Amino acid sequence: MILSTIVTASLALTGAFEGPATEGAPLPAPTPTAEESVLQPISVERAVAFKAKRVFFGDGNHVDDGIVLVQDGVIHSVGADVAVPEGVAIVELDGMLSPGLIASHSYEGLGAEHADSTRPTMPEADIAMAFQPHHVDFAKTLAAGVTSVVLAPSSATLIPGTTAVVKTSGGKVVRRPAQLQVVLSNDALNWNSFPTSHAGAMAELDRLFSEPTGQIARATSGNLPVLLSADDRSDISRAVSFAGRYRLRGAIYGSMWAEDLIDQIAKSGLGVVCNPFDVGEDSRGMRAVVGLAKRGVRLGFGLDAPNRDPENLRFGAALCIRGGLDSKLALKAMCSDAASIAGVERRIGRLERGLDADMVLWSGDPTELTSSVVAVYVDGTLVHGGGE
Amino acid sequence: MRIVASRLATAGLAMAALAVGSTSASAAATEMSPPATAAPQDDASADEVAEESAPVHVLVKASRLIVRPGEELENTSVLITDGRIISIGAELEAPEGATVVEGAVVCAGFIDPWSALGMEEASRVDRGAGPATKASDGWSPYADEHLREEALRAGVTTIHLQGGSTAALGGLGALVRIGPSLGDEALVLSDVCLSATVGLSADGGFWGGVRAVDPFDRMQQIDRIAQNLGSGQSYSESWAKYESEIVEWEKAIAEKEEELEKDFKKAKKDREKDIEKAEEKGKEYKEKRYKEDRKPRRPKVDRDKAVLARVANGEIPLVVEAHRASEIRGLLDAIEAFKRVRLVIAGGTEAKSQAERLAERGVTVIVWPALLGSSRYDEYETHDLSLAGELAEAGVKVLIGSGGREAAATRDLPLLAASLVGHGLDRDVAFGALTIDAARALDVADRLGSVELGKDGELIVLTGDPLASATRVQYVISAGRVVVTPED
Repeated sequence: MILSTIVTASLALTGAFEGPATEGAPLPAPTPTAEESVLQPISVERAVAFKAKRVFFGDGNHVDDGIVLVQDGVIHSVGADVAVPEGVAIVELDGMLSPGLIASHSYEGLGAEHADSTRPTMPEADIAMAFQPHHVDFAKTLAAGVTSVVLAPSSATLIPGTTAVVKTSGGKVVRRPAQLQVVLSNDALNWNSFPTSHAGAMAELDRLFSEPTGQIARATSGNLPVLLSADDRSDISRAVSFAGRYRLRGAIYGSMWAEDLIDQIAKSGLGVVCNPFDVGEDSRGMRAVVGLAKRGVRLGFGLDAPNRDPENLRFGAALCIRGGLDSKLALKAMCSDAASIAGVERRIGRLERGLDADMVLWSGDPTELTSSVVAVYVDGTLVHGGGE
Repeated sequence: MRIVASRLATAGLAMAALAVGSTSASAAATEMSPPATAAPQDDASADEVAEESAPVHVLVKASRLIVRPGEELENTSVLITDGRIISIGAELEAPEGATVVEGAVVCAGFIDPWSALGMEEASRVDRGAGPATKASDGWSPYADEHLREEALRAGVTTIHLQGGSTAALGGLGALVRIGPSLGDEALVLSDVCLSATVGLSADGGFWGGVRAVDPFDRMQQIDRIAQNLGSGQSYSESWAKYESEIVEWEKAIAEKEEELEKDFKKAKKDREKDIEKAEEKGKEYKEKRYKEDRKPRRPKVDRDKAVLARVANGEIPLVVEAHRASEIRGLLDAIEAFKRVRLVIAGGTEAKSQAERLAERGVTVIVWPALLGSSRYDEYETHDLSLAGELAEAGVKVLIGSGGREAAATRDLPLLAASLVGHGLDRDVAFGALTIDAARALDVADRLGSVELGKDGELIVLTGDPLASATRVQYVISAGRVVVTPED
């Protein structure tokens, strides 16, 4: 089961997605994009047009009274002036549509399988092997409007493995491996076994990265982004210089102490995945996010469900908005930024031609906690809510 | 009149009474008797201050004034003088020397009915607390200063604190303002409620983690609450009995006094004759005994039972943190015999199953939207953000609290309320829970919770909708002064 979904997913990634040939009204003057190859001419039977009061594209912009035209689970066109071919079913939605939200760091459905402390470095360990697509955790996450999560190995060892982007409904693996995780915080250190110090840990990383093989080689050649876990300021400094030393691209995981290092982070080109925000969170965490966003740093929000309620994702965003973050950037961080940090920006994270039709219908603006999830669509299919 | 009680206890009563007069007061009896409700003390002190200095005026101009949930006025001003709202109107003139603030939305400051802000940790969890232990004694107006500032900037002006969370009965809750840092002004009430807990997991001690309380312990905790209410009720009854008896006794004495006074000369002569007779017979003279001499016995003063009596009589609410359906059912059963008890459930994770009974009995539930994960096996295991909405739908009175554990959580009360709206709670009900309904449940609706004449001037000035993410609090007016101004 898992294997087959993985195969489908990787096929889709390589652009070999094929649907049955159809005849139907061709779309008037489509704008060519990189994903053009996956698109088919519109078929009256298979296409659906979703109309909503407002459509958030996921990149910080939106359009009022927008239409999303979907066929075979893929977005065909989006905008206020989408010409819907005659005969195509139109679904009038009472609310606002956004891309499905993406949690940039989480543990749903992994049980105890995300933690392996037998070896300090396991760059080939693939967290997707622990992915249980039908685990009950995912239903709750889905109900919170989160359609994809970045599953991460536990950050208890120096290189715990690679992350994977999975959908919270249908069991699709969007990308695996997604990021190589390297833990630069105290979590990776032990009191009685290697590594016991930051110096020792860094020496080991230098050894592995100067003669790279496997996933590490993919990371150093720029083909696999990294996720560098950091707790405090010295961790962040080390992460920035480590990434610079090996020309790694990717993101730092851990924003709590980033406030004092915004300049270095912005110059490094790394993105930042925020630690999950809790009720009563120290305001330094919000100040860091506001400062990073001002400098144009790509941001994602961690969630770490099931240890936290999936609502923590939007709650954290709302806390940052209260702290001064532009709500457009907050939504962007949960959509297109999160997707690009995880290297899946050509599959999910925006409502755009050629991307998966993962969408959430909200009763209002998704960055308002007063707004509720009305319906969730994954690959164009209604998978949550939407009744009556 | 209870004033004669202590002096006229013995025989020579008639004569002695006439000689001494009956003016002395019994301090113990007036202070300690349970039915006497303690009046809020800061009224008097506020008036004193006002007499000494010039009145302090604050004029608040609002584009949109939320008077109470669902009731709004446009372009309205509110004049606060010496901490009280003295006028509300469209075209109010600022008195000389008044501070004038202006904003888009003005409403009553938010009340967190379940907070830990400024509470000393040892008092918060004190195992040795009893009914008469006061949370106000474990609270410091100077603690958690930056958290207090953050909470104020989020619009929370008043908080309810409870202590003794690991004791059977945690003591009297305190209602404090977090705007002014001065102790006396900050304390609104030191006897808001009696708090208790049932079935809370305890700290696992040396081995860490949490230690669950087993079902028998939980039932025992409920029984203990019921027993305590029973002893409070009998304490209250014994005092009531004593007070009615003492009134009768005083009346009898007064009558006897009158009778004796009328025949004073005769009585005196009779007494002298009796003394003479006794001397003749070589016997010791014994004062004549009257049946009125038998003074009703005053019950022993018990501060804990006095609090329990107030709870049993419904003078102050009983706030019990309980989560499991069985515990809530047990509590409802236990208070069945105490018709006047006003029960408030804090937490109520599994309260949905008891919604009908809770509504019927008029029980308020303080919901804590904790945003906890599902991977836990304690009393919060089944927590769900739809709780508040579903309870309110079923007619249960709902308040929203920050959980009384983390001092920092009070700041996020408005966002927690917003989350509940996103999960089915009506917007006006949520706003009411933060303001007037919290004030009602804590018996301070005459002073706080809405923008009305005569109420305390505890107001917040916001840039937009109180529950919206991007809304900023620009000004906070507390205890008659502007205590928060815009940051930039």
